[in-house]
Amino acid sequence: MLGEFEYLLIAAAIRLGDYAYGAAIREELQTTTGRSCSIGALYTTLERLETKGFVKTWMGEATAQRGGRPKRMVCVTPKGVQAAKDFYEAIRNVSRGIRWAAN
Amino acid sequence: MGSQLSNVCLNLIASLLEPHEREVVLGDLTEAGESGFRSSLAVIGLITRRQVGLWRNWRPWLAAFGIALPGSLLLMGLSVSVSRSWQEYLGPEIMRASGLHLGLGFVLLLCNVFLLSAWSWIGGFVTGALSRRTLWVTAAFSFAPCVFCLERFRIEALSRLCLLLFLPGAVWGVWSGLRLARLRLSRALALAIAVTALTIPSWSQKGAWLPNWALSWPAWYLVAASRRTV
Repeated sequence: MLGEFEYLLIAAAIRLGDYAYGAAIREELQTTTGRSCSIGALYTTLERLETKGFVKTWMGEATAQRGGRPKRMVCVTPKGVQAAKDFYEAIRNVSRGIRWAAN
Repeated sequence: MGSQLSNVCLNLIASLLEPHEREVVLGDLTEAGESGFRSSLAVIGLITRRQVGLWRNWRPWLAAFGIALPGSLLLMGLSVSVSRSWQEYLGPEIMRASGLHLGLGFVLLLCNVFLLSAWSWIGGFVTGALSRRTLWVTAAFSFAPCVFCLERFRIEALSRLCLLLFLPGAVWGVWSGLRLARLRLSRALALAIAVTALTIPSWSQKGAWLPNWALSWPAWYLVAASRRTV
């Protein structure tokens, strides 16, 4: 089972598709969740996901915007997609029938 | 001026990352337009997480608390013992006497010199092989007792440097451990048997077995680790 941040990272990478790399994933997470995402959390989680076989990473192109430094591109594997789907289903199931009104 | 200084700091801090990761992280921070100070904090956070992650494994703990810390203390004791024996047997008066009646004491001294060299090299080798990316922390665990003992060394006839006789062998061992990681079974076995055999004369001494085994077990660890590759 994925952790919450692992799920968020995989979902952001899937949304970004071919443009998924470190800085873009970080920005996507900050925009969609409204929470800040540290570089440390991002890269240690990416490494863990890669070890588990949920994502693949490789060195991408260097751009002037990045001071001529390369990107770390991210691609979610079928195993990663399945894990994210399972996590989402679990959240949906566990949330079904809940009344969110504050007590 | 301020931003230049923060960039220098950032590059210095980032040099602790692996080269490929450093480039990617600095590129991400440049793209995000983070200030030098915030970027430095971000990189420190990543380095901290990486280090903490490394210490989730048992190997760095064993290297630091099982070998580096007790090993450096015991080897400093042996270094002083060997230095004193050397002074006793090969001091200027005896050399002048030209009798060279060195006898059993000299043989024991040679055994201790061999043991000091072998224990230092083996301890360094296993430390290097086990800790690798945490080596600087492990080195600090070895360095701290050395500073403590150097500070409190009170034998007038000996130089303080005698405490550190084990150091060249240990450094060589670390370098070998980082490079090779494992020894051939035949070599590891020969080393372990030789080291264990040379401790036999001290088995009868009460209380000697603990330091002996504290220093000898890495040799048998080398045997166990090499066996898997054969």
